[in-house]
Amino acid sequence: MESFLSRYRNLIVLLAVLLAQVIGLAVQVRKPLAAAPGAAGGPAVHQTKDGRGVMLIRLWSASLVTPFERAIHGSGEGLNGLWSEYVDLRHVKDQNKDLQQTIDRLRLEQAELREDALQGQRLQAMVKFRQNYVYQTTPAQVIGTSGSTQSHVIYIDKGALDGLAQDMAVITGDGIVGKVRDVFPHTAQVLVINDQTSGAGVILETTRIRGILRGNASGQPQVINIIADQRIQPGEHVLTAGGDQIFPRGLPVGVVEKVLPDPERGSFINVVVKPAADLQHLDEVLVVTSLDAHLSPQQQADLATSEDLKGAEAAADAERKKAAAEMEERLPGLKDPNAPNTPAVAPVIGPDGKPIPPPPVAPKPLPAAHPDRFSPGAAGDAPTSGTDSGADTPDASTDSNGAEKSEKPGKPATPKSSTPSAPAKPKGSPTTPKTPQFSGRVQ
Amino acid sequence: MQALIPDYRRDLEIRRYPLYIYVLVPLAALVLQAWLPRILGRFAYMDLPLLVTVYFALNRRSPIHGTLLGAVMGTLEDGLTQGAIGIHGIANTVCGFLAASIGIRIVVENNIIRMMLNFAFTLLSSATMIFISRVLLGLGWHTAWLDEVLRAAGNSIAGLIVFPLLDLTQIRD
Repeated sequence: MESFLSRYRNLIVLLAVLLAQVIGLAVQVRKPLAAAPGAAGGPAVHQTKDGRGVMLIRLWSASLVTPFERAIHGSGEGLNGLWSEYVDLRHVKDQNKDLQQTIDRLRLEQAELREDALQGQRLQAMVKFRQNYVYQTTPAQVIGTSGSTQSHVIYIDKGALDGLAQDMAVITGDGIVGKVRDVFPHTAQVLVINDQTSGAGVILETTRIRGILRGNASGQPQVINIIADQRIQPGEHVLTAGGDQIFPRGLPVGVVEKVLPDPERGSFINVVVKPAADLQHLDEVLVVTSLDAHLSPQQQADLATSEDLKGAEAAADAERKKAAAEMEERLPGLKDPNAPNTPAVAPVIGPDGKPIPPPPVAPKPLPAAHPDRFSPGAAGDAPTSGTDSGADTPDASTDSNGAEKSEKPGKPATPKSSTPSAPAKPKGSPTTPKTPQFSGRVQ
Repeated sequence: MQALIPDYRRDLEIRRYPLYIYVLVPLAALVLQAWLPRILGRFAYMDLPLLVTVYFALNRRSPIHGTLLGAVMGTLEDGLTQGAIGIHGIANTVCGFLAASIGIRIVVENNIIRMMLNFAFTLLSSATMIFISRVLLGLGWHTAWLDEVLRAAGNSIAGLIVFPLLDLTQIRD
């Protein structure tokens, strides 16, 4: 027995080590349950939540490596900072002054935008529409990677002590990067969107087609599970859909690079996306730590200032309008307020060859409730009544002189005039019987 | 052929290294492996922990030593990924054991042999990992074989630099 052990010692050790690791693997990976009896369960999935032992190994690995990565990163930053912050300081004072002014202006603009956003959210709450907004972010430096081509994760220099938690979105100014997968006290592991185990709900901007973003074997993010659609073209923008409870809606993801048929399912396509953020050269990222409206004291002060300014502007605007209205009343009238809104007509020439000035405007009598022959506008009285009651007759098909509008087709109807129209009217023009009216009563 | 047959007076002796080398070199390999992709991006085609495993296994000429070193290095590599712990571990364990077994039988001082061994072991490591993830575990991961070949080539070239440097640290009688 002893000779057997000594003879096969190497193989025994190898098998023992391999067996231990295989058992460890079996514990970590589970087969998904079948959706229905008899149905295939699909490919196995790695548990997203690590067990205690696995977490311990990850913690040891991260604790072993990240301090050195942080030191390397810090020393590089230190050398750069030594030059840029202590040696190369030309024009810094002027730049600082300009930047300070810009900051003041941007703070107020930001407060105004926030005010609008809050109003938008209140309106959304009224219509029971829920949407997440990025409210608080924590900047972090990328200090390392997994070092494996099969695993696209990065390590950042902020951890649980900085308020980070699992499943927080990680973004840059250009687009989304990934989500926090594991959090250690001083570091955190971020699963990048081009990893094969990642997943993010996205939507194509133009075609509004939704899908799941996941990395492929080449480390490119692609939208999977899309039915073949001719409308999807390279160059279309891809945004987060907001349904995954991790990424807020509407953040840029990238643009469609190419459309490939799904090798496993013929009717489906994979849309390869060129990420908006440079995933291969990440330096600084933002971790979205809060999606709720918690404003800092500074932001609240800015908001109050913005509201005050906006109130003062509104008051000044109202004052200006009031002053303009008063001035308009005091100035000599350039137009008669009592003048009817009628276009200019040719002056009427009298029998002596002089133009007859238009008589003053008389108020139009209301139609009589019980008209008789004495009512203005009654038959035989119209030409001399001095009124144009015929225009107010209920019969809209007649003009002020009782002529039918259809008499001159293709020509606009004669405009209403308060002047007696008899002189201008040709004799024998057809007239319609006017409705007798009584002007003494108001209906 | 004569170059491949070990000279029992010199070549079969076990190379020895100071203790701090056994600690610092694997650690440096892990740190660099995690840090270099930040500089090189997706062109970081190398696997330094595997390279260190192969080097010590070849020179120590102890399969047990190679097995254990490979297991530790691989497990720590797995710890830095989001995947299951053990995929790199098993691959490096197998490579460490085989490297030590080969180191007993052939001379590994020649640079060409070292290059070929590194290329072969890196491909073996990739194949083992793919076998584990796709067959053993049934994970639906896809593989870019060109990347794996490039990784093997990168490891071969890196070995030409790293192996002579590590040779300088061995204890000489």
